[in-house]
Amino acid sequence: MAILEARGITKKFPGVVALNDVDLSLKQGTIHCIVGENGAGKSTLVKILTGLQQADAGTLFIDGHEGNAHYLHSSECIAYVPQELNLFPFMTVAENIFIPFSRSGKSSIFFDEKEMEENAKKYLKRLNMTVDPCDIAQNIPISEQQLLQVARALSREKFKVIILDEPTTSLTKTETERLFSILNVLREEGKTIVFISHKLDEVFSIGDYVTVLRNGELVGESDLKSVDQNWIIQKMTGKEIDFTKNYKPQNPSNEVLLKVENLSGHMFEDISFEVRRGEIVGFAGLVGAGRSEVMQTLFGYLRKKQGEAYFNNNPWKFGNTSSSIANGLIYLTEERKTHGILPFLNVRENIGIQLKHKISKRGVVLQKRDRAVANRVISTYSVKTHSPETKIVNLSGGNQQKVLIGRAMESSPKVIIFDEPTKGIDVNTKEEIYRLMKELAEKEGVGIILISSELEELLRCSNRIITMYEGKVNARYEEHQISQNQILRSIIGVSN
Amino acid sequence: MYKNILSKIKLTGSALLNWTRKNQLAGVFGALVLLFFVSCFISPNFLTVYNLQIMVRSLAFVGIIAIGQGLLLLLGDIDLSVGAIAGLCGVITGKFAVTFGVNPFISILIGLAAGVLMGMFNGLLITMFDLNAIVLTIGMQTAYKGLNQVITKGRTITGFPKSITIIGEGSIFQVPTPAIVLLIVFILMYLLTRKTFFGRNVYAVGNSIETAKMVGIKAHHVRIISYGICGFLAALTGILMSLRLASAQSSIGEIWVLPSIAAPVIGGIATTGGIGSITGALIGGSIMGVVSNIIVLGGVNLYWQQVLNGFIVVLAIIFDSFSRKFRTN
Repeated sequence: MAILEARGITKKFPGVVALNDVDLSLKQGTIHCIVGENGAGKSTLVKILTGLQQADAGTLFIDGHEGNAHYLHSSECIAYVPQELNLFPFMTVAENIFIPFSRSGKSSIFFDEKEMEENAKKYLKRLNMTVDPCDIAQNIPISEQQLLQVARALSREKFKVIILDEPTTSLTKTETERLFSILNVLREEGKTIVFISHKLDEVFSIGDYVTVLRNGELVGESDLKSVDQNWIIQKMTGKEIDFTKNYKPQNPSNEVLLKVENLSGHMFEDISFEVRRGEIVGFAGLVGAGRSEVMQTLFGYLRKKQGEAYFNNNPWKFGNTSSSIANGLIYLTEERKTHGILPFLNVRENIGIQLKHKISKRGVVLQKRDRAVANRVISTYSVKTHSPETKIVNLSGGNQQKVLIGRAMESSPKVIIFDEPTKGIDVNTKEEIYRLMKELAEKEGVGIILISSELEELLRCSNRIITMYEGKVNARYEEHQISQNQILRSIIGVSN
Repeated sequence: MYKNILSKIKLTGSALLNWTRKNQLAGVFGALVLLFFVSCFISPNFLTVYNLQIMVRSLAFVGIIAIGQGLLLLLGDIDLSVGAIAGLCGVITGKFAVTFGVNPFISILIGLAAGVLMGMFNGLLITMFDLNAIVLTIGMQTAYKGLNQVITKGRTITGFPKSITIIGEGSIFQVPTPAIVLLIVFILMYLLTRKTFFGRNVYAVGNSIETAKMVGIKAHHVRIISYGICGFLAALTGILMSLRLASAQSSIGEIWVLPSIAAPVIGGIATTGGIGSITGALIGGSIMGVVSNIIVLGGVNLYWQQVLNGFIVVLAIIFDSFSRKFRTN
């Protein structure tokens, strides 16, 4: 019998259906893998199982009994290792394992530091960790921090199911093997393990069952012994994309606008690429592969460690966003809400803020020009807004994005970096954004860099695609070489 | 029960907020007008030229410093050393004008320049080392106050020349000169925040410092210059007060710190930055001025006055927090 079963789980967020009628059944004493592209709904499903989020529809059964999310959360029958590190950075390793401290010793009111540290050693030893229980969490290596999260989950001795959301992202090969041997022990003890990973070789080396999600839908379930990597990749990508409706700019020129050579920085190293006039270069990769970091470094928002770049054959000046914009490079951020818009200002002010020389003279804003520019952006990019005086937070995500694109275009850039331009945007507006990018490339000759986690988007818009994996360029594909299957393999680190 | 009442308060609160959000300034201005009329009924002495002069004169001091602080709050910044800057700059002006016998007008300019430098120094330290503005400026407050003691040794500097004390004491057509200074400051600061690109940048940084960097604004420059402007206005307030008293006392300025924050907050400037306007700061200051005036006229015990003033500030901050939650929903 299934120890934990989810039936018909549906979860909607504004504008997207994160999960649609998904079933999941976990057998006791097995390792169950969940795979899918970014945004397929894996993490949402897990959060519903742990009780962190409430499903809009669907039922959960624990040991055959119906249970709600609240029960799951309080009964401690599920242990959870989240994808992001969320430790208390200034607390000790032992404190991080036992917080809240009710489990740290014999008494639930007073706690004994010595006793707690003694108890912690048991879990550290089990995971073969080398750190001391008194070490401060933020001072230990990232890989140990990730294992510490596992230790914290293990300290909930009552758990029947343990969920690990991409636990191996910062582990080395030996550390991963160590973790796997522990998972195997847990399985023999009769615990059930849910393992989420992008790395298919890991899935095959440890898993018993696999569930494949795509765009919030359950698209495949199987015993791992009876399928191979190709089956999973095919399920992940789904049906072949209709390439008749693509948005690749026609006839890009050979003139190189931007040339990056051996650039290294935080999260990435030794990146080289070129952007030519009138083309869209797609950057594919997993979240955390370092794509945004490369672009933000180029733009001057992050600091570079090494490397050079040339813009129109002139050496590029790093580390200053305002000179980057003045020289014709614009970065449209993925974090539209926090890094893109000025939420409490209106549309007109949001547009003007980047156009000092266009709308002001000796520091004084010229109201007429200010309004004219705003109106031009609104009509050219068909922004749906009540008026230019509407606060930008009241616009939909897609219209906010159009405002930002319009603002970027008004400063006559030569290269624009679009970082996840359609994140949180509905399907119809997505097509509009693709059409806009194509137009900018064809008519204005802008060189476009497109970072996207949606493979379909990259395939339909890019003239060339570069894939990144763990901070390095993994492969490059010219237009005629682009194939969905190969790129997906390249993103998840399968060597071609 | 408790929850029920709380949710009802929240409901009416949010309806009220909804209206004031759309008519932010109209809301506070309405409150000011209402308060003014109520005050006329409470005390027959309220609406007299003499009383209005007293009220406007004391408003002038709080108003100027509150406008400076308001600019910083718009950025999401704060300077708690404004009072100490005011006191120190009054003393510096006095020292030059009286002890050194420098031309009194030049002495005033020296005092003002000192204020700019002190403010910018605060801003420089905060941006350079990425410090918490509250903590840093509390520290600087003590340092500036200490410097004040070093210069005065605790003694009051008296004997300001008549040619400049008139700026603090005098009136033009029955309007106290400090009030005229306030009006000029207000107009200039209104134009700066509303009509110049610098003002746009202030709002941009206050809305989101990350976005501001993304669109190529040098956020550090904007913040340091604003700290300088706030320092200038603090110095102006301190010097005006010294001129009014015809003496530079080391304790000048201490009482202005809290009102300088409370006035903009009452007037609708969010403590987290990006929302509100300089006009709001002035109206907020006026509300506080009328309230403390009517408390005095109403014969409230001096000690209770402080309690009341404190509660008004607390209320304003709760209102600010509510409206922030409301905006994010």
